Amino acid sequence: MNIIVAGLGGQGVIYLTRLLAKAAIIDKHSLMVSESHGMSQRGGSVVSHLKVGGNKAPLIQRGTADLLISLDPDEAVRNLPFLRRGATVLVNSEDGLMQEVSEQITRLEIQVFSLPANRMAIELGSPAVANVIMLGLTTANPLFELNYESILVAIDIIGSNGKELNIKAFEAGFNSGKEKYLEYIYSPSKNSK
Amino acid sequence: MSIQTILGNEAIALGVVEQGCRVVTAYPGTPSSEILSGVVKFKKQLNRNIYTEWSTNEKVAFEVALAASWSGLRAAVAMKQVGLNVASDPLFSSAYTGVKGGFLIIPADDPGPHSSQTEQDSRLLALTAKVPVFDPSSPEEAREMVGLALELSERYRTPVILRPTTRLCHAVQSLEIDDLIPPENAIPEVKFRKDPKRWTATPKFRNLLHKELNNKLLEIEEEFNKSTLNFVLYDDINSSIGIIASGVAFHTVEQSLAELGNQIPILKIGTPHPLPRKIVEEFSARFDKVLVIEEPDVCIEIQLNSREKVHGRFDETFPKAGELTPEVVTSILHTIFNKAGITVNSPPNDVELEDLVSSLPLPIRRPRLCPGCSHRSAFYTIKKEFGSKGIYPGDIGCYTLGMNLRAVDTFVDMGASITMANGFYQANQILNDKRPIIATIGDSTFLHSGIPSLINAVHTGARFVLVILDNRTTAMTGFQPTPANTELADGSDAAQNVSIVDLVRACGVDYVKEVDPYNQDEFQELLQAAFEYSQSLSGSVAVVIADRPCVLYDPTPLNENPIPVVITEECDGCRYCLEVFECPAMSLSSDKSRVDINQKICVDCGQCLDSCYKGFILPDLTSIINKQEVPSLTRSD
Repeated sequence: MNIIVAGLGGQGVIYLTRLLAKAAIIDKHSLMVSESHGMSQRGGSVVSHLKVGGNKAPLIQRGTADLLISLDPDEAVRNLPFLRRGATVLVNSEDGLMQEVSEQITRLEIQVFSLPANRMAIELGSPAVANVIMLGLTTANPLFELNYESILVAIDIIGSNGKELNIKAFEAGFNSGKEKYLEYIYSPSKNSK
Repeated sequence: MSIQTILGNEAIALGVVEQGCRVVTAYPGTPSSEILSGVVKFKKQLNRNIYTEWSTNEKVAFEVALAASWSGLRAAVAMKQVGLNVASDPLFSSAYTGVKGGFLIIPADDPGPHSSQTEQDSRLLALTAKVPVFDPSSPEEAREMVGLALELSERYRTPVILRPTTRLCHAVQSLEIDDLIPPENAIPEVKFRKDPKRWTATPKFRNLLHKELNNKLLEIEEEFNKSTLNFVLYDDINSSIGIIASGVAFHTVEQSLAELGNQIPILKIGTPHPLPRKIVEEFSARFDKVLVIEEPDVCIEIQLNSREKVHGRFDETFPKAGELTPEVVTSILHTIFNKAGITVNSPPNDVELEDLVSSLPLPIRRPRLCPGCSHRSAFYTIKKEFGSKGIYPGDIGCYTLGMNLRAVDTFVDMGASITMANGFYQANQILNDKRPIIATIGDSTFLHSGIPSLINAVHTGARFVLVILDNRTTAMTGFQPTPANTELADGSDAAQNVSIVDLVRACGVDYVKEVDPYNQDEFQELLQAAFEYSQSLSGSVAVVIADRPCVLYDPTPLNENPIPVVITEECDGCRYCLEVFECPAMSLSSDKSRVDINQKICVDCGQCLDSCYKGFILPDLTSIINKQEVPSLTRSD
């Protein structure tokens, strides 16, 4: 499974990537991850490539990612070319992706699920946990291959910002996700936003 | 035995600790910085007695580790590729003298480049210096190569280079890690033994050492011809085309072939210098066409005796600049296979989608100074005082981003701000150009190589203002301590800190003032006075030290005195503040009618108050009164 995690410097892309990586090895998958460091951390676009199983090349080739998790809607669009036909986008956004890409998304059968994770994070008491909310949304996706329990263990091992808050954020994302996916499954013809 | 995820740089660090290096030194620089911090982490975990230091610069780091090797201990030194330029003097010399304890040099290359001033290939420097190179393709292999490299170093008494690249340094891989090995801290039975013909070799003996070095390389090449680090993947497949690949590019090629649905033999070279020619020639003889795929330059290709059927960077089959990303490699291989009449899958990328996305007006996310960064305050005030007619030589660090405020006009290499200012002054004398020259340099960079530059400027009578941006840490690369801190590499607080002010004075500078750049008015007055001094009859270089800790490293002063601001209703969206202050927390509203503050990332520094000349940015008095807690900052992402 090839996963792209995208966002802006300071949004916690690397932390989210590390949680996924930790969960993947708890599940005994082989793993190769590529992180952005240095200049790219000072407010620029940040993207991590996470290969669960697969070979040892650090970068995912454009057109081969199964899942794109983006903490920012513009960064989601920027990274769309990484996705293969039929892939999934999970985006932190109030209103999905910009209209301009909808035609291509439909053509490539890409599923987009969005969650206003920034707003939810503030409601939970810390804007910093939007990334963990998105991890909850990811875990609830029926196609996601890592175990729910492993993700929780990962949060327990490398939790920051206080574990309790992280678990709360994760569950908020997970529960919203379950509803979204159910809704989608029962109305498969419409491209969920 | 357990499976763990490990960063490439930490895999190297683990190798260095496991293999018994007793002195490990480094100067921080992306993509190499986590190697030394990894050594510190593992030496604590494994309870090893290892001396570690963040050295003043790469040459210093190299020589400190070299002396340990000459004493018989295993030693390692890490740096980024351009750091090896700084350390090239001892690199070349020590290749001749040789070493005693295993001596490993780890320069991290940066194909792309992602955060460097060049895309140079350390393997080519090794070729010129006559030093053997190990070229790992994954964190796992890098860790394994550390031991092989040290062992080779000891047997041939030669320094050895382990050359990782950015994608390896910052890759995280799952690895099997043995249960913790018990500490082995007995004092090794070695010591420095005098050997004048070697350690103090005069030119006559240097000639002999050079011949000895050439012979060593011949023997090492023979050994590399038998090494399992050089092997053929898909060896039994019939093909008219063969590939020679090394480093991360090897796995990229493997992945590209899988995407294209075609397997052809790949000779994986783990030891590109000296090139195992026998293996390479026997492999090449099997094919009509041989592709050489390596990064960032032509270390293998340049060593080939014949390039008749070779396609690589020289004939521009592969681009002469830039990273060999999966897309680049797949597309080139696809073209080559098509031309050869071999049917393969199309590259997996969707061109229609790529074209659409590249045509969209997505925000350009250039790197910017953080909200609350004291450098922004300094650059803002420098620019306010000297305007666009100032000449602004800058330097290497976060503050290179002062270019966004148009207060950095040049950067060359570590320490060059001061020497460039020196040179601009002399050029301007000839050209009768009266523009003020204001150089900026960070604390770590000043200590790294600014001091000889400053001595030179004072000694030759140059006149300019030098602003030392002292944020009390090496912020860009992850807050490594500088010699002006009391913190050592292992985190202990036992360092003797040197004083930047005293150093500046000792360089012969009479005018040196310290100021907190958050006090913009005071800072501006000092800049004015410094400039006047530099131009006065008996004037010289004037130094202003902008002294305030990095807001991520130590937010205490900020948290003690927060100044929340509001942008009033009257704001007309003229964008002046965005241009001159360039804070990521300020942006134009979606209807472009006004500027808004992003409270999520604003740190209440209040430094932008001056940046609206219309007076629409004001202290938020209600918020100051009501605010119980200020947003707390953390040190990392």
